[in-house]
Amino acid sequence: MSYVAIKGGGRAIAGAAAVTEYLRTEQGLDNPAAEPLAIDAILHQLRHLVDRVVSEGGVYHPQFAALAVKQSLGDTLEAAFALRAWRSTRPRLSATPPLDTSRMRLIRRISSAFKDIPGGQMLGPTPDYALRLLRLELMDESPEAFRAVARDWLENCPEADLPDSFPKVLDALRAEGLLPPLGAVRDEAPFDITREPLVFPVPRSAALSTLARAETGALLAIAYSNMRGYGDVHPTVAELRVGYLPVLLPHPVTGELTEAGEVLMTECEVVAMFEADDAGGKPMFTVGYGACFGHNEVKAIAMAILDRALQKGMQDGPENPSEDPEFVLLHVDGVDSMGFASHYKMPHYVTFQSDLDRLRTTRQKSGEPA
Amino acid sequence: MLLERTDWIRALTAHPAPDLHALAERLAAGCEVRLTRLPQAGLGLLQLADGAFHEAYYLGEFPLSICSLELTLADGRRAEGGAQVMADDAALARSLAILDAVLAARLPGWEAVSAQVHSGAARRDEEACRRRAVLAATRVDVALLGNVGEDENEA
Repeated sequence: MSYVAIKGGGRAIAGAAAVTEYLRTEQGLDNPAAEPLAIDAILHQLRHLVDRVVSEGGVYHPQFAALAVKQSLGDTLEAAFALRAWRSTRPRLSATPPLDTSRMRLIRRISSAFKDIPGGQMLGPTPDYALRLLRLELMDESPEAFRAVARDWLENCPEADLPDSFPKVLDALRAEGLLPPLGAVRDEAPFDITREPLVFPVPRSAALSTLARAETGALLAIAYSNMRGYGDVHPTVAELRVGYLPVLLPHPVTGELTEAGEVLMTECEVVAMFEADDAGGKPMFTVGYGACFGHNEVKAIAMAILDRALQKGMQDGPENPSEDPEFVLLHVDGVDSMGFASHYKMPHYVTFQSDLDRLRTTRQKSGEPA
Repeated sequence: MLLERTDWIRALTAHPAPDLHALAERLAAGCEVRLTRLPQAGLGLLQLADGAFHEAYYLGEFPLSICSLELTLADGRRAEGGAQVMADDAALARSLAILDAVLAARLPGWEAVSAQVHSGAARRDEEACRRRAVLAATRVDVALLGNVGEDENEA
């Protein structure tokens, strides 16, 4: 591609930044009641927006994700870009050992495979069963009413004698011999997508990391193609869980695993179509896995479907786009794809001039007026 | 009873950082502080075992601050402390490392650190209680249609 250096736009660019900032603060014009969005308010009241940004930015930093949401005026792609830009300035200090997500401190846990699962199903916070109707009373919600809701809920909530964590549904299925056995534990480190480019074929760890950091809409769109018929995963959600995973790192002095903090995450395990064993063993269900930072169920489900679809594609060769690792993994990153789309707004004066020249030459050759 | 050392960071970080800084500075005032790993803020990489095949992969990164140090009292007593905390705050890691050293070696003032650990753990317990309430309030009592009187059973 040919680009050309230009000058003369500096004042306009500075003006564009100022105008954007003007729009962010315009509410304050002649309005003494106007207040800037507090980071804490974004964190709590727009939590799913923050969750998308930590997930798509690839860094679990909810405060900076909220800041990124604020400065980008709610644009999740721009916010994820800003968070990734921040992370690129930070040194890598450590990595956790492989953590066991069965230790998640759950706030939600459901299964569509069984009505009774060990420990029980708990809906937690979900709009799944709510009417998708506008709640007009929130148009003019008073601070007093706002504060009363959580307080009243806490006062009336039931005493709970529940454990912090629960066993996994897949483990029960595996114990019955209905799932493929676990492979041997490998010594090699997982693929680090922040340090290595994707050169195909890539290991499953590269696919999982890429999908976990993918843009929700992109992931959903490709998974949806599989659901609608361009694929045959036909998943059943064995378990969908949302909760806080303790982040464990060795203590600098004792070396014992110590909790450094926790991350909110969503995890989905799907059971898919069973497969016959070519070696003559028993047929077994296939499985797919999805997980991401934050509470984002659609993303975790879509990822689990794509994980299974990609396993099939890697094993038998892709028959559908969602089974093709290169197609899926190179097109689901929000910052990559947004960047490419946005670059078309940049000056392409030379390339377009070249296109014009070729069109005129072609017309001249065919005897038409240029 | 004092919590295990592996639970101190979780308990202490239930308190505001300025409170921890103030306590650490007070306790370290009479000590020589030798940094064995400079306080540093950066990122950690979160590695998980996937739920389907238990294969390791990286879910993403998180802010991480680290510090290790050695405290030496005027009478020659020494204590090692360290902290890795999920925060973009190297000073917080340093303060936590001081508190870790003081409490581990029962240096003067350890009772104040112990009290902070206990009150922090109590705050974490309250948080856990609220989360359990979320689960308990939404626990599903599933019955097959026709087996019982469905919704009237829940009334």
